[in-house]
Amino acid sequence: MTLESTISFHPFFGQETLLYQPDWYSRTFIQPTKSSFKLLCHLLSSLSSGAYQPITVNSHIFSRFHNNAAIRRIMEKQLQLTNQTLRDTIPGYTEVSFSDLPRCQHLLLVRLLNNPELPSSLMKILFDTTRPVKTMHEDYEDVTGLCSHIVQCKSVYKVLSPLADMSALGADAEVQGEMLMERLEALLNQGSETCRAEQFLGSVLQGCEGALQQFCLVIAAALLTSKNCTAQTAAHDFLLDWLQKKHSLLQYMCSLLSPTLLKDLAKEHQKLRDASCNVLKKWASEMEYSLSDGEWVLTSTGPGVSFKKLTELFLALFDASPSLRGDVEKELNALKISDGDFDVTGLSVWGDLLSALNM
Amino acid sequence: LEMQFWLDKAVAWGQADSPDTQKDTCLHMSRLRDFLQQLLTQVNSMSSTTETMKRLPFLGQLLGRLCWNPYVTVCGEWSFWTTLIMMVIILAWWLLLGCLWGLYSEHPSNAVEKKANQWIRKVLCQLSTEEDDTAAQALMKCTGVPAKEYHLKVLRKVLFTVFHCSGNSDNKDLSYLPCRCSCDRIVDISEACIPIVTCPEASSLISVLLQRPVACVTEVLSEDFLNALTSAYSRQGLALEEQALVSLWYHSFSSLEEAVLSLLQSVITTGLTPQKLEQQVAQSLLVGKRLFSKAIICATSHHYVVKSESVLAEMPQGAWRNHLNWLSSSLQRLTEEEEEGDGRSTRGHHNVFEAWFLLVQCAHWVQVAVQLLATSGTEDGDPFLWLLIFYHYPTKRWHHRASRLAQAKEAWNHIRTLFSGAAHPLPSDRLQSLDTLVSPQPEQQSLAPSLTVSLLVNVAVFCQLPPSGSAEVLQAVRKTVSLLSFSDYCSIQLLLNAKLSMHNA
Repeated sequence: MTLESTISFHPFFGQETLLYQPDWYSRTFIQPTKSSFKLLCHLLSSLSSGAYQPITVNSHIFSRFHNNAAIRRIMEKQLQLTNQTLRDTIPGYTEVSFSDLPRCQHLLLVRLLNNPELPSSLMKILFDTTRPVKTMHEDYEDVTGLCSHIVQCKSVYKVLSPLADMSALGADAEVQGEMLMERLEALLNQGSETCRAEQFLGSVLQGCEGALQQFCLVIAAALLTSKNCTAQTAAHDFLLDWLQKKHSLLQYMCSLLSPTLLKDLAKEHQKLRDASCNVLKKWASEMEYSLSDGEWVLTSTGPGVSFKKLTELFLALFDASPSLRGDVEKELNALKISDGDFDVTGLSVWGDLLSALNM
Repeated sequence: LEMQFWLDKAVAWGQADSPDTQKDTCLHMSRLRDFLQQLLTQVNSMSSTTETMKRLPFLGQLLGRLCWNPYVTVCGEWSFWTTLIMMVIILAWWLLLGCLWGLYSEHPSNAVEKKANQWIRKVLCQLSTEEDDTAAQALMKCTGVPAKEYHLKVLRKVLFTVFHCSGNSDNKDLSYLPCRCSCDRIVDISEACIPIVTCPEASSLISVLLQRPVACVTEVLSEDFLNALTSAYSRQGLALEEQALVSLWYHSFSSLEEAVLSLLQSVITTGLTPQKLEQQVAQSLLVGKRLFSKAIICATSHHYVVKSESVLAEMPQGAWRNHLNWLSSSLQRLTEEEEEGDGRSTRGHHNVFEAWFLLVQCAHWVQVAVQLLATSGTEDGDPFLWLLIFYHYPTKRWHHRASRLAQAKEAWNHIRTLFSGAAHPLPSDRLQSLDTLVSPQPEQQSLAPSLTVSLLVNVAVFCQLPPSGSAEVLQAVRKTVSLLSFSDYCSIQLLLNAKLSMHNA
């Protein structure tokens, strides 16, 4: 079987999966064989004709069907068959899975643009600026001008974002939070497959490695999305439970959040309010008085806060939930008494905390 | 020489980080664009990249500084330099691309050309695929949302927030919710939009800015912003919908001029058959007669402010008084004669109609009459008031001119008393009475709102009112805004702007 006949044999997945073999075609381009190069150029040129939209079709397929278990199974099976055939025909073929599909556009663009054999005609199609911009509601978008559009969108956003008088979150975190919630809701809706939802959250967390702060903002934004439907409440609950299990993450989040943000979150979610309260109390218990600094400091390693911020966070929680104030006051008093009930600064963190909180 | 200038500029922009630098960039944009256009022509005339690099050795450097963004992530934020670069990209993206394509060699013949190719691909790849936001990357990957959709979503959210000063978007139509922004903010927003006037993504924001009803006397869209829009329009790079475009014409006479001139030009060059004309009108942005007539109305309003001022300047006030006094008494005599008897004589009505029609052709005389009314004593103003009423209600029988005149007199006296010599700010009951005057009474036939408003506005503009008095009048005028057509409102706005510019000049 020649390469061309293999590909033409598989009408749907065949040709596209070929495009998403980063190794295959990067190899192909580094040592291009005449036939494979011609074939690829032909495939890519038809991107602009509207007849054939591998990039967007696959993203579209993924977004449409990833929630439909039955269809997903069928597609995965088809992919398996294609993988098998292509693996037999093409050396070094790496299999494409269903979940790879959404990354395809990004991957493809990266690989294309880095390839020295890329014909300038294709580059010009991708960066075309003459066509009017279509809305994003069309199912099958033309790839003409795709890259220019992305660049311009990003640029306009950067220019305008200083003007946007937003909360601490920012437009990007808010959109990311919405994306997270949408996917989470969809996954939970599918039935009892909560492990898929956990997997999803885990993979997002992993993807944000090295940018944990951003991840926390996304979680905060996700928890603040408001659509008032049962699906969303369930998703919020799930997220909160997941967050509570990840103790260090929760702690990190509390150390990052501004008091205003914490207040907003605590107002919406009692679970979070209580969990954060516990984190704050734990921090207080781990503080020691530093004579040189003249204040309480956290001695434990890991994310933490200053005494000042601790009081601000407590106050934020009380703002969100006035009933909490009374409960915490009782607790702190009891702890102060057990510490010896001193009124002198620096002897008991609980006493100092109480006076800082005006209790 | 110019290349060096722009190189230095690009370096300077990269090093500074103040809002003034951003402004500086905006102001230089059109010049930079022209320079890039020249460069592009030169590049296209060269036969190879090697030749280009030889003739324009600093081109690569310049393009690099304009495209390359070695941003430093500071807490996940792009550095200010990148913002400036982005602005350049927005304004001159197609020119930058053109230069880049000019430098790209289809079949690189030497190391330099290969290197250039590699560099160009790298830059383009970075610009379109790299995300400085790790979380964005992770989420796009895990949720399957493609980059273009993500960036559009974020942009829409920012656009919404910029204008509505709040964070909830839900993809609502921008024009749907009222803006709670202060006047200064509107000016700031319009200035910030200068670099993005040609971006379709920003067109919704720009439309709202243009169509926003004016809320306060001092608020005016930034002049530079309007100029940027006009020049984009003349280059046919503007992506605005019809209503927004008409609003632009109202804001900026030069844009209207541009539109009409280009239409006329295309008509002239293609010949003047009726079908051709209609075709041209349809093809150009001035789609349909309706739009064209709006343009004419607008032109007339503009013209009419200018004309009034210039005429008043040309002819001494005394001469106008005499002229209009004579006109008023002549018309009064005519109508009395013709409306005598049983009124069944059609000839009589024809005469009145003709007289009225002639007056309508000289509508600005009526405007002058109202202005003179504002500066006249009680008795002296009667002829002018009559003219105004005749203009709006020409016949006794069908338009009830007599009772209208009485109404108008009452209203006018009311307004005069309210505003002449009274303490300012007015006590609330007085303002209330002003409201009643201005809002239509459902039971009785009330004066046309435009007439009342005309009186009010002229008081504001031509009487010697203190600024607070003018502000109060404007408040009352604002209340009638919903009753007026947009064009009426704009004419008034133009008058007020004219007065302000006289004040400030």
